[in-house]
Amino acid sequence: MLLDVKDIHKKYGEIEVLKGVSLTLARGETKVIMGPSGTGKSTLLRCINRLSPPTSGEVFLDGELICDANINEMRQKVAFVFQDFNLFLHLSALDNVAMGPMRLKGMKRAEARELAMQELERVGMQTHAASYPAQLSGGQQQRVSIARALAMKPEVILFDEPTSALDPELTGEVVTVMQKLASDGITMLVVSHEIGFARRAADAIIFMEGGHVIEEGPPEQIIGAPRQDRTREFLNVIAEEGQIS
Amino acid sequence: MSDFIAFATEHLPTILSALPITLGMWVLAIVIGAGLGLLLATGRLYGGRITYALATTYVEVFRGTPMLVQMFFIYFGLPEIGIVLDPFTAAVIAIGLNSAAYQAEYFRGAVRSIPQGQMVAARAIGMTRLQALRNVLLPQALRRVIPQWSNEAILELKYTSIAYAIGVSEMTSKAEQIGYKTFHFFEVFLLVAIVYVVLTGIVAQLLHVLERRTSIPGVNR
Repeated sequence: MLLDVKDIHKKYGEIEVLKGVSLTLARGETKVIMGPSGTGKSTLLRCINRLSPPTSGEVFLDGELICDANINEMRQKVAFVFQDFNLFLHLSALDNVAMGPMRLKGMKRAEARELAMQELERVGMQTHAASYPAQLSGGQQQRVSIARALAMKPEVILFDEPTSALDPELTGEVVTVMQKLASDGITMLVVSHEIGFARRAADAIIFMEGGHVIEEGPPEQIIGAPRQDRTREFLNVIAEEGQIS
Repeated sequence: MSDFIAFATEHLPTILSALPITLGMWVLAIVIGAGLGLLLATGRLYGGRITYALATTYVEVFRGTPMLVQMFFIYFGLPEIGIVLDPFTAAVIAIGLNSAAYQAEYFRGAVRSIPQGQMVAARAIGMTRLQALRNVLLPQALRRVIPQWSNEAILELKYTSIAYAIGVSEMTSKAEQIGYKTFHFFEVFLLVAIVYVVLTGIVAQLLHVLERRTSIPGVNR
């Protein structure tokens, strides 16, 4: 397994948000995590790259334990895409993408920019290379932030609700990019309620509730014939909200 | 009025002969203040308990005592423990150390005003906290701090006149000498005041240009 998440618990004071979550991700796989809000999906992603270290449990990348001692090196391999993009506000789209390779991988500026341009092309943002985050729409910013993640050549990318901060008409462009990455063989763990994306791009859907994984299975099974009542109820709610595309 | 112009024409060169001293003190003090201020701000933002306490104490002590007392302490007090400084050096150190306390607070405030997501995003691609500070937070914070920093720079320029009290022959002391020689105190202090206002005006203007030049496209302030 490329990513092996074992029995993650996370407590904030007395409140246990994650109550023993395990999952695995093989190289090239895409899995989508769904579930009601407050279920610990985002917390789980943050536990994996230790932006919020787990209370207990272990995460292995390619057999190597991710821990405080190797965290900065590991984060270069486990990229993270945020709900609210978090692009570096003082840099152009191009330099946002070039920053990591330049500062962390010791690439020369010209070389890093060349790589950055390729990644911007991959997300269809090459014509906006010189624009600054404040000049871009939410969907455009998110695509640049995906390019920023790609430029580190990570082993896996974690997506934390990448479309939920976007206006509905802007989610499409981001979902399209993510589908392309999935079919390019990028390993992705995605927290999202985009059922259309899950159906088309995911190898599995993981349904979480109350800090537990309730069920996991291929999209057609989870969406078409969920085994657990809770999963079915949740999908019905999502459908009523009109998020099925 | 024509009397004043005649007076100014005669004595301005003497006052301006001290301009290099005044500007030299100012530049050195502000550089010391910026360097130390940045360290203090980093200590207060990211330091452990002891670093935080030390930096905070420094800031409180230097903000809580008069500049003149600090300068006297350094020039007249330190020789008693064997540290003897010439007036110019003592003044530069006093103004620099004092400015560091204020600059530290301006830097700290500016860094804290940067959205948290910036640090998180930098850490998420594998930067250490210091790398994130240098590459992501400071470039944004330093832009934001320019207006306050401009106030501080102007204040320090005026503070160089306090060095008169320990015998640095800067512009104010030259003015006083002219005053005693000519007994035209009104004219001479008006003249030196005009020189200060022109200097601070130039500094404010330069920093304003810097602020505009470095503004981030698409961000309105």
